[in-house]
Amino acid sequence: MTQLVVENLRLEYPAARGGKPYLALSEANLAVESGEFVTIVGPSGCGKSTLLMLIASLLRATNGTVKLNGKEVAAPGPDRALVFQDFALLPWRTVLKNVEIGLELQRVPVARRRDIARKYIEMVGLSAFEMHYPHQLSGGMRQRVGIARALSVDPEVLLMDEPFGALDAQIRQVMGLELLHIWERDRKTILFVTHDIDEAIYLADRIVVMSASPGRVIREIKVELPRPRGLAIRTSPEFNIYRETLWNLLEEQVRASGSWAAAKATGDR
Amino acid sequence: MNEKFAQVALGALGFILLIGAWELAARNGLANPVVVSSPARIAAAFARQWASGDLFADLETSAIEFAIGYGLAIVVGVVLGLAMGLNRIAEYCIDPFIWFIYASPLIAFYPLLIVWLGFGFVTVVTVAFLLSFVSIAINAMAGVHAVDASHMRAVLAFGGTRRDVIFKVILPSSVPHILAGARIGLGRALHGVVLGEMFGSNDGLGYSITRYAAQLKTADVFVPLLTLIVLGVAINQASALLEGRLQSWKRA
Amino acid sequence: MAINASKSLGDRLSEAPNARTWIGGVSVVLFLAAWQVIGANEIVRSDLISYPGEIAAAAYDLASSGELGANALTTLREFAQGFAPAILAGILLGLGFALSRLARSLFEPLFVAMYTAPLIAFVPLLVVWFGVGSTSKAVTTFLAAVVPIAINTTTGVRETQESWVRALRAFGATRGQIIVKAILPGAMPIIMAGLRLAIGRAIVGVIAAEMYVSTSGVGRMIQTYSTAGRAAEIFVLVGEVSGFGFMCVWLLRRLENRLAPWRARA
Repeated sequence: MTQLVVENLRLEYPAARGGKPYLALSEANLAVESGEFVTIVGPSGCGKSTLLMLIASLLRATNGTVKLNGKEVAAPGPDRALVFQDFALLPWRTVLKNVEIGLELQRVPVARRRDIARKYIEMVGLSAFEMHYPHQLSGGMRQRVGIARALSVDPEVLLMDEPFGALDAQIRQVMGLELLHIWERDRKTILFVTHDIDEAIYLADRIVVMSASPGRVIREIKVELPRPRGLAIRTSPEFNIYRETLWNLLEEQVRASGSWAAAKATGDR
Repeated sequence: MNEKFAQVALGALGFILLIGAWELAARNGLANPVVVSSPARIAAAFARQWASGDLFADLETSAIEFAIGYGLAIVVGVVLGLAMGLNRIAEYCIDPFIWFIYASPLIAFYPLLIVWLGFGFVTVVTVAFLLSFVSIAINAMAGVHAVDASHMRAVLAFGGTRRDVIFKVILPSSVPHILAGARIGLGRALHGVVLGEMFGSNDGLGYSITRYAAQLKTADVFVPLLTLIVLGVAINQASALLEGRLQSWKRA
Repeated sequence: MAINASKSLGDRLSEAPNARTWIGGVSVVLFLAAWQVIGANEIVRSDLISYPGEIAAAAYDLASSGELGANALTTLREFAQGFAPAILAGILLGLGFALSRLARSLFEPLFVAMYTAPLIAFVPLLVVWFGVGSTSKAVTTFLAAVVPIAINTTTGVRETQESWVRALRAFGATRGQIIVKAILPGAMPIIMAGLRLAIGRAIVGVIAAEMYVSTSGVGRMIQTYSTAGRAAEIFVLVGEVSGFGFMCVWLLRRLENRLAPWRARA
């Protein structure tokens, strides 16, 4: 069943004084099935995070619509929970209170929200750190809190904006593996933005490739690797084929954006 | 620049709104003009005190007391602060007294000061000095403590003496802290002058405020009061400007 | 300041454990002893400088007669009547300034002017307006405290991190929820620093206002004993006021550690 539909989504920033309007995203189209894991890759600055923020309604589109289960969405809400690259935890709240925040905002009674929060804290393996503050945790642990916080409101879609981008390579792999475990348990629909090709393949049912600025969807690739996937799959020949395909696509885009930037710098665009 | 202009214009508008509302309230009998006065009455009182020379006489007295008290505070504050910064034993010995002076309502000692120093000028200068030198000393000390050890090592590595370290590294790099302290001290010195004049003198802006208030001449009270406010803001702005100039190396 | 490689006696002394406490303590004790000797032996007229023994006796008398307690209660009441509304008004005003550019542009200059002016200069006027009783003291306290609280609240709110607000918005928080759950707690450490500043200003304000004119309170006592030329009692009262100030700041720090333990890192 198609759950999330993005139609002709466009975002243009009005011209700053004396400048030209900036097109951040041009006509993005996307349909996501219920329970699907979709990753979005593209060269940096292509608007892939912008797309996510538009779906979350944290930004307002110039044109186009976002429909969830057939209904157009207009305001941010717990039906689309975000996980941020910078974690965005509240430093004065403990792990438990941070995970509770989404439910708290919906005025879920204390006892109930505490139970729910504990369940998800356990799911991300932080039960021993419930009473810790974010500054007492490592980067990976902080993002686990971010994931538990997003899951706690039982969203229809989980929107993840380069969630492991601030972590170092090894932690990143482990977090990816754990995310797959969690996903395989409750099959949430996930939209996952990354610039890491391996991560995009490893996690996804389908990869959405975006063009360089101004961003639009240029290709969708189904990933038909068997699940559940372990870390070893990254060294398999099939994985390598996907890697090569993606790499070539992206290289083209990066080159294109590079020449565009150079042209812009010399002012002959 | 337009942004800046709008800010200033709106700020001025805020003052004009306040003055307008006040004048209207006084004229329409919403507020008793004898008690709360009114901008027009204050303007008249200002003209009167200006013409009679009372305002200038007050201003002159207060300005001299302020200049001497604050000047002394800078000299003593900087010397004491640097000494405390350079010598830990001195710091530990003086520290408790500094904090006592900083945290106490010193004005309570004014009767003793009057007995020791006489009623008037010297007492006022002393109160201004006592109130302001502490913040300068504390900041000067903090400035020495904040000196980057690598700078000191650099001077020593090139054969510099302890004296070189003090004059070529410690003093110059404490300047921003000293200036910050001097700026806090400004406000406190002005406060000290007013306190001293209100309780221990019969001269100056502070004394005039109490005298007019005792005579229930509200409009006249506002003249020295507003003069003090303008003075406070002007001194503060000027010192901020000066601080910016002297610290330009920090950004360079 | 270990510039020389070889350690002097002073260096070694100052590096001993708890050096600050005991060197400071010794220094205070020596000072008190010298004061006692000079005052008690009338080397300097003791009615001018008093001495620790006399001050201790005066403290005992004032406390046991109940005079100190009754007046301290008056002052404390005036202080509380002014300070509590100042916290509320200061935070609300500060929020208003931070969240509305118009309010900030219109009224911030007035506020800064109030902050820079010596507050004590307003006291005679406040007495004309509010009478010689408690009200004028409470108003003085209020005015002394409200400005630093408002200014610090504005600063604190303007330094709120965008990510905190973003996280809440993503979960569909309302404007009110964002203020209560992200902006105010985020600004709390700076608001607390404002409260500390406010306490100092308010204490001096209430005492000076009582000294200026009043019928009771610690400031009134100071005025009474000073006209009587009693140095010892003045020292007792000044000590009491400073002690109260220290206690307030200490309590505030405890509160801060409870309200903002996360700040320990920053």
